[in-house]
Amino acid sequence: MPGVEEEIRDLVATIIEKPANEINPDANFFKDLGVDSMMALEILAAIEKKYKISIPEEKLAQLTTLNQTIAVAKEFIK
Amino acid sequence: MFNIEDIQKMLPQRYPFLMIDRILELEEGKKVVAVKNVSVNEEFFGGHFPGNPVMPGALIIEAMAQASIALFYSSESSASDKEKLYLLGTVKVRFLNPVFPGDQLKLTIEPVKIISTGAIVNALAEVNGKEVARGELSFSVK
Repeated sequence: MPGVEEEIRDLVATIIEKPANEINPDANFFKDLGVDSMMALEILAAIEKKYKISIPEEKLAQLTTLNQTIAVAKEFIK
Repeated sequence: MFNIEDIQKMLPQRYPFLMIDRILELEEGKKVVAVKNVSVNEEFFGGHFPGNPVMPGALIIEAMAQASIALFYSSESSASDKEKLYLLGTVKVRFLNPVFPGDQLKLTIEPVKIISTGAIVNALAEVNGKEVARGELSFSVK
């Protein structure tokens, strides 16, 4: 069973259209990985759907790296 | 129910690019059901296709997108006004049946996620209870 880290990495990889193993977990989404604000929203929505959680809009600004995204998701996953 | 006057208060689009004629249901930020009456007089039928009129799928997506703007407009997280610029981000739509002149396109839009600067929605288009297209759209609002 993959852990939350791997699941979110794969989900982010699909949305930003990059191979999962090429995503440095601390690379900046916007500066380094070409993520735009709509992709960030898609990542947020995909995490909500996968874990059946609700993440408030304020948290969106914190989704700047894969590690940060995992950290935010973990706050809400029971 | 919202008529075309009401719709024009919600949408920035105007003739000849209004792709919804009426809103049957609007549950604030939760659901919108809109209709587009497809007439043989639509200009695009002249070329799409000559002698074989079929509504372009791209315009079905546009109708979905416009109904989605109404949903966004109604949601609490939006401070919507006509000055806003709505830009599609992604479109994942499957077309299931063709739409012909005389059909009434019924669009049902439900949110996946709405924030103040954009939204992701599920969209369904039906004619006479038969699905003609469905999918997911995302758009940003500036």
